Amino acid sequence: MRISKAALLVVIAFTVPILVELRTVLAWVNVELTVLESVTLGVAMILAILVWALWPENGESGHSSTR
Amino acid sequence: MSNAYIDEFPAEARIVRAAFYSSFLALALGGVFGIIQTLHRTDFLRFMDSVDYYTVLTAHGVFLVISFTIFFLVGIFTWAITTSLDRGLEDIRFSWGWYSLMAVGITLTGVAILAGFTDATDISASVLFTFYAPLQAHPMFYLGLVLFVVGTWLAGADWFRSWLAWKAENPDERIPLPTFMVLTTMLMWYIATLGVAVAILAFLLPWSLGWIDTVNPLLTRTLFWFFGHPVVYFWLMPAYMMWYVMLPKISGGKLFSDPLARVVFVLFLVLSVPTGIHHQYLDPGIAEGFKFIAMTNTMFLLLPSLLTAFTVVASMEHGARQRGGEGYLGWLKALPWRDPVFTGMALAGLMFAAAGFSGMINAGMNINYLVHNTFWVVGHFHLTVGTAVALTFMAVTYWFLPQVTGRALWNRSVALGQVVLWFIGMTFMSNAMHRGGLLGIPRRTAEPQYEGFEFEAAVGSVAELDAQIALGGVLLTLSLVLFFANVIGTALNGKSDSLPANGYAETLSGPEDAPLVLDNLKLWTAIAVVLVIFAYTFPLLSIIERGGLFGPEVIPFPLTLESVTTVGIALETAATETVDGATLALVGVIR
Amino acid sequence: MNIHTYEKLWLVAAMLLIVTFIATITYGSVGLGIAMVGDQQPTVEPTELSDDERFGDPRVEQVGENEYEAYVVAQTFRYQPDPIEVPEDSQVTFYVTARDVIHSFSIVGTNVNTMAIPGEIAEMTVEFDEVGEYGVVCNEYCGPGHHDMEGELHVVPAEEFDLVDHSVDTPTEVEPDDEAEFTVEVRNRQLDDLETTVVLEVGDETFEEELVVAGGETAETTIVVDTADLGEGDHDWTITVDEFEEAGTLSVVDPDAEDDDGGDDDE
Repeated sequence: MRISKAALLVVIAFTVPILVELRTVLAWVNVELTVLESVTLGVAMILAILVWALWPENGESGHSSTR
Repeated sequence: MSNAYIDEFPAEARIVRAAFYSSFLALALGGVFGIIQTLHRTDFLRFMDSVDYYTVLTAHGVFLVISFTIFFLVGIFTWAITTSLDRGLEDIRFSWGWYSLMAVGITLTGVAILAGFTDATDISASVLFTFYAPLQAHPMFYLGLVLFVVGTWLAGADWFRSWLAWKAENPDERIPLPTFMVLTTMLMWYIATLGVAVAILAFLLPWSLGWIDTVNPLLTRTLFWFFGHPVVYFWLMPAYMMWYVMLPKISGGKLFSDPLARVVFVLFLVLSVPTGIHHQYLDPGIAEGFKFIAMTNTMFLLLPSLLTAFTVVASMEHGARQRGGEGYLGWLKALPWRDPVFTGMALAGLMFAAAGFSGMINAGMNINYLVHNTFWVVGHFHLTVGTAVALTFMAVTYWFLPQVTGRALWNRSVALGQVVLWFIGMTFMSNAMHRGGLLGIPRRTAEPQYEGFEFEAAVGSVAELDAQIALGGVLLTLSLVLFFANVIGTALNGKSDSLPANGYAETLSGPEDAPLVLDNLKLWTAIAVVLVIFAYTFPLLSIIERGGLFGPEVIPFPLTLESVTTVGIALETAATETVDGATLALVGVIR
Repeated sequence: MNIHTYEKLWLVAAMLLIVTFIATITYGSVGLGIAMVGDQQPTVEPTELSDDERFGDPRVEQVGENEYEAYVVAQTFRYQPDPIEVPEDSQVTFYVTARDVIHSFSIVGTNVNTMAIPGEIAEMTVEFDEVGEYGVVCNEYCGPGHHDMEGELHVVPAEEFDLVDHSVDTPTEVEPDDEAEFTVEVRNRQLDDLETTVVLEVGDETFEEELVVAGGETAETTIVVDTADLGEGDHDWTITVDEFEEAGTLSVVDPDAEDDDGGDDDE
């Protein structure tokens, strides 16, 4: 794991405001996403984050940085 | 034997615990009313009459922003004073005295509000948190608020007493930072509450008791906002205190700068009160010039918040680097995200930044036309008091609760999930509220669905916004359930011997770097008072000169259970007045 | 005091930001002329609004070529007048007050928004360039029916807009040999004089009366009909003034034939 499980959770949580605000911002440039498209985009983003986070980093296993 | 707060100060820990539990009870009630009104307003679930919505809304507001926040902050202020001065309270009976007064006060107010649901009494107070006259509540509502506020005054006196006693023994020492923060906050609070004290004691309470016949609606409203804006700093400053004295410690580092923390609190003391008129930008009867002054003061209040943003992030970075973090942004990975206390506060701080932006729009005098009293404002304060303050309080609860109970936290993972869930829920809810406000959807209404027109969404639809709000509300409610599971679970836990020691963050740049003048509380109070006199004397005099001290004759609007009939009568009276005289047969066609 | 270099930079940037905000708002006020609702207007007695020259009869009135004034009363739980009609390409100054509790007058989807406080009058000047229909909402909680408080504002094409009110006062029952008085009141809220003709058709007879109403004034005319000419029984009548039309029925009844105090429509 590239980041700790808790950090991963927080990063995934962050996709929510990004997605919600992105939809508003895109509408300014006349790109209107439907709810379904937004959800699909969100799932895709979360999957990408998961792949990035869980992809083995040179065989090194996770160093969860809890206190 | 551990060195937790309860071990050092067992008697004080009981007070803090009592304050916390009172605060959590209010949070639970406020949360229940919150979800009820969310589902009602968005028309997903309406099981009550829309008339009762306003009783629910009053309860939601008063329980959350008065009892939840203030009970919690008297708890952490008591902790801050005793811990940083390293001495117990002077007389614990006096402390229980103010706690009891607050508890009795809020119970009276709460009962007055909740009685609005039943026909068994004619007691009711569905006047919302702002209780603008001529809306009239039962006297018990006002009386309860008075007792509650007097309780906080006495609490402040208790803390000042501790400080004076400490100062007598340590004449040459700087005021410890947490104590400094408590004292400046309380000085601000004393000044701020004068407004609401006058509004209630001189006008609203006698009026609700029938001793005086009329009030000046603009005057009581202005006096309310004299208090109503600084009260938000009364909620916020404890959260700031946590960001200054706890967050660096939890991040594994030290506070970046003690002197700047003092500067920030001094700025809040000086600037919090002379800004209240910015809630009245659209009030007739107040000259534009006064509004401009309030606007300028408000804008300068951004300064302490921007300074806080810097110091907090710098302290977090310092902590992360102590923990081995590297790189421009890579240090973020080294932060203790597993710790709900840290993650909750960090997310709260982040949302506060977003709230700052919507706040700047609100503060922009003429931009305010667009958003005043719309749903936008609700979105704004759910980010400030509803997240920056509430989420910080919930997060630090996970540190404080073991300290004051001597029991380990029930479940850290549930706690982490809880703070993250709050963040997600509030994102959905406040985004939709802000956007709805821009469409002109009003705040404080049971049914924002009208007959004659529809709100037009620029993007998506109003139905989508409603769904987003309801989703957010449900997630927030779930988050609260997890929070209470942890509070109850912790209370039922066995005593623990391995709790972390009581304490707060050390500083990189300590008080020795702060000019002595910063600790001159008399000076800052005097400046604050002068600014208040500048900002308020002329508006108040002008309002009294225009409308009279007791105002014009108004029809009192008691919101008792007969309110519906009262409204009926008022309507009828008004209607007859209108068609009075020669206009009896007026057809009145406008083509 | 020891301040880190970065913190100094941040402090300067923060101050710049604040000053920029204040400058922006000041530009909005001075440059764009977005005035705040202020204390320009005197106070009023909320319980005596019905005797007030402006609010006794909430209305729209013409004050200049394209300039209008709208006197609006907000009260639980409605607005007067409703709907408010103004012509396109007009400049309308709203005067808003409240009769009972604090309300607001907010035109949805625009920045027209003010509090309506009993005793105080809010003044706001607004330009309406295009035809359209807007909702008006109360966005200040005003009591249990708050959510039902709404109104409408119609910006209508100039040719469909007029500011003339008509009212008609007629008896419903008269005795034979008595006279029936048909009174027509025309109120002209435009600046210019209005010349019009009042036409009364009753039974088989037609009466016409010329009427001139000065700008901003009210004038009335009374047409007297001799019931002897009509005879006993019910007679339909119609009054027409330009596009205004009202119809009713006049009964000519002999009181001796009926045990009734008739002849008077007051009840």
